[in-house]
Amino acid sequence: MNGKYETHEHDVLVIGAGGAGLRAAIEALAQGASVGVVCKSLLGKAHTVMAEGGIAAAMANVDEADDWRAHFRDTIRGGKFLNNWRMAQIHAQESSERVRELEQWGALFDRTKDGRILQRAFGGHTFKRLCHVGDRTGLEMIRTLQDRGVQMGFDVYMECAITRLLKDGDRLAGAFGYWRENGRFVVFKAKSVVLATGGIGKAWPITSNSWEYTGDGMALAYDAGAELMDMEFVQFHPTGMVWPPGVQGILVTEAVRGEGGILRNKTGERFMERYDPKRMELSTRDVVARAIYTEVREGRGTEHGGAYLDISQKPAEYVKRKLPSMYHQFLELADVDITKGPMEVGPTCHYMMGGVKVEADTAASTVPGLFAAGEVAAGLHGANRLGGNSLSDLLVFGRRAGLVAAQHAKATVAPSLDPGQIDSAERAMLAPFERKEGESPYALHSDLQENMQKLVGIFRTEEDLRQALTKIEELKERSQRMSVSGSRMFNPGWHLGRDLESMLTVVEAVTRSALARQESRGAHSRIDYPDLDLSWGKQNNVIARKNERMELRQVPIPDMPEDLQVLLTEEKGSAA
Amino acid sequence: MGNSKTVRFKIKRQASPAAKSYWEEFELPRHSGMNVISSLMEIAGNPVTRDGRTTTPVTYDSNCLEEICGSCAMLINGKARMACSALVDKLDQPIRLEPFSKFPVVRDLAVDRSVLFENLKAVKAWVPIDGSYDLGPGPRLTMQDQEAAYPLSRCISCCCCMEACPQFNEETNFVGAAAISQVRLFNTHPTGSALKRERLSALMGDGGIHECGYAQNCVEVCPKDIPLTRSIAEVGGAVMKQAIGDLFRK
Repeated sequence: MNGKYETHEHDVLVIGAGGAGLRAAIEALAQGASVGVVCKSLLGKAHTVMAEGGIAAAMANVDEADDWRAHFRDTIRGGKFLNNWRMAQIHAQESSERVRELEQWGALFDRTKDGRILQRAFGGHTFKRLCHVGDRTGLEMIRTLQDRGVQMGFDVYMECAITRLLKDGDRLAGAFGYWRENGRFVVFKAKSVVLATGGIGKAWPITSNSWEYTGDGMALAYDAGAELMDMEFVQFHPTGMVWPPGVQGILVTEAVRGEGGILRNKTGERFMERYDPKRMELSTRDVVARAIYTEVREGRGTEHGGAYLDISQKPAEYVKRKLPSMYHQFLELADVDITKGPMEVGPTCHYMMGGVKVEADTAASTVPGLFAAGEVAAGLHGANRLGGNSLSDLLVFGRRAGLVAAQHAKATVAPSLDPGQIDSAERAMLAPFERKEGESPYALHSDLQENMQKLVGIFRTEEDLRQALTKIEELKERSQRMSVSGSRMFNPGWHLGRDLESMLTVVEAVTRSALARQESRGAHSRIDYPDLDLSWGKQNNVIARKNERMELRQVPIPDMPEDLQVLLTEEKGSAA
Repeated sequence: MGNSKTVRFKIKRQASPAAKSYWEEFELPRHSGMNVISSLMEIAGNPVTRDGRTTTPVTYDSNCLEEICGSCAMLINGKARMACSALVDKLDQPIRLEPFSKFPVVRDLAVDRSVLFENLKAVKAWVPIDGSYDLGPGPRLTMQDQEAAYPLSRCISCCCCMEACPQFNEETNFVGAAAISQVRLFNTHPTGSALKRERLSALMGDGGIHECGYAQNCVEVCPKDIPLTRSIAEVGGAVMKQAIGDLFRK
């Protein structure tokens, strides 16, 4: 092998150390594989820690009538029938076992009176189903998985970013990346690679996602020849903080409106009177989101592009008692006292339903040796995700990906690395240093975010999407002229420049898919096609790279077996 | 403090683990609700010092920006705390930012905190179960026991308690409050308690619980209000009991 680079060899390389990545690593270790885990940040700090609500699993500890069939039905209905039904079935059947396992490993769930795991109600779930640890379930999950991984002995490569997947013919052979700290390059040779890199929130300026969420896994998979699916389905929460910067994107719970919060535009008008005079602020999520969107769009938004949400007309003691975590969080993080004045809120990018197209049972992508689990993978959530289904997704499919990746590694001989691919990956990384006086990665990123916020946000039209595609093409051209100054020693501009490449690939896929789907379904809302279209309910948008271009095609959803269909018709829902 | 239109920062820089450290000053326009992390992000976007010299962006660890991941711990005006919840308006200026002093500096404000993982390994802070298979319904745990253990499980691995502890240094090898508190957590866990003896034994040796000098700095700096001193007292008692028991068994 090329002696020029630091090289590590593993049976299974896991990229990403959130819930899915750690669960995959633990399973691969249990299979006797040698496992390396690469993460952009520090071990135990992944985005999963921010999850609050809980893990959805039909354990029936609180509501005895619950079972996997009901969980399956809820998931499919929430996903507006676009889900990969086999994934939804596996997920509903296996999540209880994954929760029990997590409990055995030390996770400290809240309890029922008789000492079992307590479950709470959540939007879209028919029964009380979310196993939780106060409002910090994600942290508990990461801490438990991290402790177990430390015990089992995986090799962790922290603050390391992967920039390219390496191939040996058609199969995966490893990955190329750099150490964020010193900018040195590193090569990983592996028989199997599991992508567990999460989502793409950083392509929008207002997002609840952490800085790591730049769509790396989806772009790496696409570049390596794998397919992406359902990319038009991006979940926005209608109210996130848009200002000040210290709390930008952080979710403002619906309870603020429930407790009497009033929405106003910059002229002070209580604009909900025009959108839903009966229910006002208590209107449904989509109506509130659309009202805020319209106010901003028509020039009546706040200075930072949102609406005012004011609960300060209520007595301070009442607000503190009813909304304690909202009150403390904004006071501590940004000195915003919600009992004294209005918040500035707007839609915040929260979750990506689309991603790498995988096989339900094995988490395998279309590239041999490449697996994907968690938010980076598509299929389970269809057109919209139910709260609580993401943490269970990480456990169920993280485990399956780790298991099959280890089995795949056992069954194959070591791949060989191609020095040509490695050299080309290195040249691509060094190019921005060789250009002088080019485009700044910061300016490009902020233009990209502005483009996505304005044109590919929570509500979409053909005109906007076409304009967005033109802008993305311009941004891609400009990124070819991007230059970076300074050295490779921890250079955030350089890092952002690489992340930007991933984001550009992913936002193009999002925009193309959104343009193609001429209907509104789940998280995809087209103002010019406001209704569900039955024919679109039978197919997914799939994207692949063909001759250096993005090719989009529609793939029919396989027929659901009768025994599952029966479950959906047993009790008629309001969905499509 | 004050209502001036700008905010001043004095940041300790260090290019690499072996390099010499130096200070740089930055000045940013003041706006409402600024915290230390949002200020560092602004500096990264335009790394120019107060006297107009272009410099390298300041390196620091951060992730969630909601004080739940534990990444952005540093010394802020001399105190170990999280940068995302350090409000600029509440800090004396110039605001001094330094890396933790008891951990190896990686670069600027980023330090290597892997010693925490080593210490968690030393005290076996996990539940001993082999393989992964269907374990059936887990053991019952009462609401009261869960609520008692809950505050201990809030640890975000930020290492503030270790930085602030006068006994946490190379001479003592003290494992620190975070690891001791995790021992208490796992020793009360229904299945985790199987390793109780081994965890307590680990705290008898080099760097063990006897190194605690009861300065109580740990509990004061903990951003998650974990009852660390109570953990140390309780685990200390258990260690003592086991040590005496062992003595008589010999």
